[in-house]
Amino acid sequence: MDRSRGINDYEPGPVPSESRVDRYGFIKQNVSNSSAAEGLGKSREARRVRKWRKMIGVGGSDWKHYVRRKPHVVKRRIRKGIPDCLRGLVWQLISGSRDLLLMNPGVYEQLVIYETSASELDIIRDISRTFPTHVFFQQRHGPGQRSLYNVLKAYSVFDRAVGYVQGMGFLAGLLLLYMSEEDAFWLLVALLKGAVHAPMEGLYQVGLPLVQQYLFQFEHLVSEHLPKLGEHFSREMINPSMYASQWFITVFSYSFPFPLALRIWDVFLFEGVKIVFKVGLALLKYCHDDLINLSFEKLIHALRNFPEDAMNPDILLPMAYSIKVSRSLGESKIEYEKQNRKPKIEA
Amino acid sequence: MAYKVDHEYDYLFKIVLIGDSGVGKSNILSRFTRNEFCLESKSTIGVEFATRTLQVEGKTVKAQIWDTAGQERYRAITSAYYRGAVGALLVYDITKRQTFDNVLRWLRELRDHADSNIVIMMAGNKSDLNHLRAVSTEDAQSLAESEGLSFMETSALEAFNIEKAFQTVLLDIYQIIRKKALAAQESASGTGVPQGTTINVNNMSDNANKKPCCST
Repeated sequence: MDRSRGINDYEPGPVPSESRVDRYGFIKQNVSNSSAAEGLGKSREARRVRKWRKMIGVGGSDWKHYVRRKPHVVKRRIRKGIPDCLRGLVWQLISGSRDLLLMNPGVYEQLVIYETSASELDIIRDISRTFPTHVFFQQRHGPGQRSLYNVLKAYSVFDRAVGYVQGMGFLAGLLLLYMSEEDAFWLLVALLKGAVHAPMEGLYQVGLPLVQQYLFQFEHLVSEHLPKLGEHFSREMINPSMYASQWFITVFSYSFPFPLALRIWDVFLFEGVKIVFKVGLALLKYCHDDLINLSFEKLIHALRNFPEDAMNPDILLPMAYSIKVSRSLGESKIEYEKQNRKPKIEA
Repeated sequence: MAYKVDHEYDYLFKIVLIGDSGVGKSNILSRFTRNEFCLESKSTIGVEFATRTLQVEGKTVKAQIWDTAGQERYRAITSAYYRGAVGALLVYDITKRQTFDNVLRWLRELRDHADSNIVIMMAGNKSDLNHLRAVSTEDAQSLAESEGLSFMETSALEAFNIEKAFQTVLLDIYQIIRKKALAAQESASGTGVPQGTTINVNNMSDNANKKPCCST
């Protein structure tokens, strides 16, 4: 019944000075000139925030009404990026997690305080290995690590069949940078249980069934949209599990630049998993002419280390939006299900 | 995947890094391929990959190493990578008994999914944390003997025995392959059939330059 075994002692560690972290709280790897670019857009950002505030109303009171009346305006604005200061609130509104929270008062507290989970030690093992370069999560046993532990433990109790799986920490960690523990927990529930879009829990269930399906579908999309590259990949024996598993399991939060990950999450929460396929395809498309000339080892390296310009959200995302995937995803899902039913019948 | 190719390298050996989560597999890989160690490393999601080319008995050998996520749930993805592997580094953490107790489960995994004559090195990692030791060297040694594994304690942090562990695996693989080649050669000459693709075991690449690390 111990609230957070092993995470009880608070050890104040060195907190890096402000100038050493970027605007999102990550320790700067090298000093870049991005702050100058950030300054330029400040007045435009202020205008955007005003527009957004009007759209969502006080505490989100006008949101549902607005979405019903002008869904296309909302979609367009989200695709341009949610203002950072409103992100936490808007994410809760578009994911349906706010409703879950209101319908389940006291449940989170119950899960955190009174329940024990079989995954506690697994979670503790990974806590310091989740966003280790972010100030909030860096401090050993600090508030960031405690919240992360609590959210993951609560989820592992909430759905004991799924429990805790590596990768979930990156989702929870990302959310915790924008909202409270309890809000983050319910957003995780909304995603995995499918409050608005298809449930994501298959990414983490035994056998990782949804990962396998998504990788199959992604391979199809590559050969359909980038046939030459698809052929090159199969000649070089490259398959999506070698580079894209993390894209799906952590929705690009594991190793992509944070500004890009946030913009993807804005769209992901509103439009669903399709955007993950689209961004993946856009990355390959952007680097197509380089990738097509690389052999196996260099390919693997390139597919894990995309050039900086490819990961600029204002270049990559418009490209991603222009790619149509719905029809192909539908077809490849049917085919995947057919292929995976067969062996069982024959056996 | 033990290929003989006549450019860049003489042999390509596929090696897998397996073992429980948090035992230090990714740091063993980065120490071996880039001579780097990262205290703030993230848990591995799925698989990672790196290579290094080195000399074994005068031959240029490229080690192609797949580093796998350790959590049991991930075996659904990672076990596919055992196929074609000729070597495995099975890692446990000397400060965590459970990770050693699970070695037998990992061996079963290898026997189910990998080649039957795969060369296995058991590595007791984090030997720098001797004051927190929970697995004695003797226990590990006797397990290694009864299971027919090579064994070494290693420290990715202190760069202790990492090089040696991989060198040993690669040498064992090389010797197995050489033996097979010789046997093939003998049986071929015994039946009088000319053998077109025997592997040359003469030291033809004595002065081959050591290739730099391929991964950046």
